[in-house]
Amino acid sequence: MFFHNFKYSLKTLFRSKSLVFWTLAFPIVLGTLFNMAFADIGNSEKLDVINIAVVNNDDFEKNDAFKAVFENLSDENNSERLFNTKYVTEDEAGNLLKNEEVIGYLKIDDNKPKVVFTTNGFDQTVFKYVVEEIEQTSDIVKNISENDIKEQMMSKNADIDYQKIYENALKMAQEDNVRLQDISNKNLNVVMIEFYTLIAMTCLYGGMLSITAINQSMANISNKGKRISVSPTKKSKIILSSLLASYVIQLLGLTLLFAYTTKVLNVDYGEKTGLVVLLAMVGSLAGLALGVAIGTLFKSSENAKTGILTGITMLGCFLSGMMGMTMKYVIDKSVPIVNKINPASMITDGFYSLYYYDTLDRYFFDLASLLVFAFILIVISFFSLRRQKYDSI
Amino acid sequence: MENVIEIKNLIKQYKEVRAVDDLSFEVHSGEILGLLGPNGSGKSTTMNCILSLLNYSNGVIKIFGKEMKPDSYDLKSKIGVVFQDVAVFDELTVYENIDYFCGLYIKDKEERKKYVEDAINLVGLGDFKKFYPKKLSGGLLRRLNIACGIAHKPKLIFLDEPTVAVDPQSRNNILDGIKKLRSEGATIVYTTHYMEEVEILCDRVIIIDNGKIIASGTIDQLKKLAKIEEKVSVEVNNLDVQHMEKIKEQENVDEVTYDGNVLLVTYKEGKNNLVDIIDYLKKESIKYNKIYSERPTLNDVFLELTGKELRD
Repeated sequence: MFFHNFKYSLKTLFRSKSLVFWTLAFPIVLGTLFNMAFADIGNSEKLDVINIAVVNNDDFEKNDAFKAVFENLSDENNSERLFNTKYVTEDEAGNLLKNEEVIGYLKIDDNKPKVVFTTNGFDQTVFKYVVEEIEQTSDIVKNISENDIKEQMMSKNADIDYQKIYENALKMAQEDNVRLQDISNKNLNVVMIEFYTLIAMTCLYGGMLSITAINQSMANISNKGKRISVSPTKKSKIILSSLLASYVIQLLGLTLLFAYTTKVLNVDYGEKTGLVVLLAMVGSLAGLALGVAIGTLFKSSENAKTGILTGITMLGCFLSGMMGMTMKYVIDKSVPIVNKINPASMITDGFYSLYYYDTLDRYFFDLASLLVFAFILIVISFFSLRRQKYDSI
Repeated sequence: MENVIEIKNLIKQYKEVRAVDDLSFEVHSGEILGLLGPNGSGKSTTMNCILSLLNYSNGVIKIFGKEMKPDSYDLKSKIGVVFQDVAVFDELTVYENIDYFCGLYIKDKEERKKYVEDAINLVGLGDFKKFYPKKLSGGLLRRLNIACGIAHKPKLIFLDEPTVAVDPQSRNNILDGIKKLRSEGATIVYTTHYMEEVEILCDRVIIIDNGKIIASGTIDQLKKLAKIEEKVSVEVNNLDVQHMEKIKEQENVDEVTYDGNVLLVTYKEGKNNLVDIIDYLKKESIKYNKIYSERPTLNDVFLELTGKELRD
């Protein structure tokens, strides 16, 4: 009975034109559109140099971290040059901004950096992001330095080379997880973020398949469900085999998307193929669970449920950067909890961390978050799924 | 006679509304029992309670002598259900639909293949095996719906309004199929609000209204509950009220109505009534187009018992 239902579930899902479009064809179409829209960015692999100003006051002169980083990121010989920086007084900086010769300026007062803009935009976001990263790095450096000094003092090593400790700490911090140099190139690869969210969307759209599978199995939702419920086949067998069929089709959709994006669009997902596949599989599981939850908890038509899933998916993808990376940055900084519970963001972030970080901690955190997300939804749905008699149908 | 279904004191309450009100009845082996009642009378709710799809507030339901529960898989394997709404997969062909639902009951592939063919022949869909449901007419779709419910050759079959909105040809095909199923030994519970079908098919009838049994018995037993024995209808133009009053004074006449050029005369007893009315029309030189006589129907019984029509 399990295989019988699995076989026919595959047939019904495969032959449903709308499901095939949304889960198999639509991601490929969207990927093609992304590729066309972002072709220039992808080809240049570089961002335009951003004109900024820095208020060259005493506080800035004393702040080695800011000085070093801005010198480096503004160096004409640096292939990863990000800024064209003018070191000026505050008044001059204000005038430059007013005349739109720079997009903003940095002023440091009492070791507190302040970025001044008149408008918001991608360049401004990048500038602000760099300043915040430098500030964060400085804090790490400071903490590491203090600990190092304490250690040396505890070991009664009187001859402390503060300069060397500072340089080592700076190097450690930069090699660890801050990676300021990435900002100028890899981290701002908008195209990659778009493709990560595209995969996330495909994973979550798989929920449409599980909504259909659930609808066809529940007596209180569909007439087919009534007919199946009066048969001697156990409901658990029906639901599990139907969901397995949904999962198989979902994975097929992802395989097609990966094949198309890598072979035709030349998207590079990195070298950790096994982990990429694992994340996509777990992401699909989360999408499946989302569909099961929507399918069981809402007693409305299949179209209405599909609408709810589409809405949740698109909102999730939007917040995780599908329509512009700035949104991901803004959400991460201002309401981080949103992307912590957003499955699209978990998937996107998992790919992002896999591609950009040497360690897998963040990747596995995202993977675990997706599993927890799926588990919670299945537990919530379980009580509806196990019901065999209803108060009304 | 062996009871296939025994229902005692079944009550189904929806908040303020009692959809099934203390229903008790039995279905005997090999019979076709008609559950007759207007829309919303509680027929389908009763059926869903029997099938353990719905919770019920009170009562005992036994099928083949055993209490029916959601996990009574041995009982479920002997039951076939044809629901009122068509329940088939648009993405599967006629053959695949029947094979799918039959496969929920029959594991053996070869046996199933034969059962599916038998079901296709029974409902006359042999020429449409590879058709998808969207390509079928309403009547053919209803036939497919029936085939999906009975392909596994169940001993007990529930048919819930299987002929709603079908063409006469399909209706006759469906009714013939049901008779054949009974002749092969199945016990059938037939839910409908079409009294004509009940009269053609059913051995016994239970009339339900507002969730209660208001009458039960064979067709003849039920018809005796009606106070009239004959109805004569005459198509006549411009009949005066005086004529109606004179007709009412004739022997055995119970009631006279004139609506839409049709004179309807009901009689308490069924002898010589047609002759009497024709004689009167001739004597008064009243021209008429058609005249015909009918015996009381189950609708008359329902009208007598509830004061309303079955299809109200």
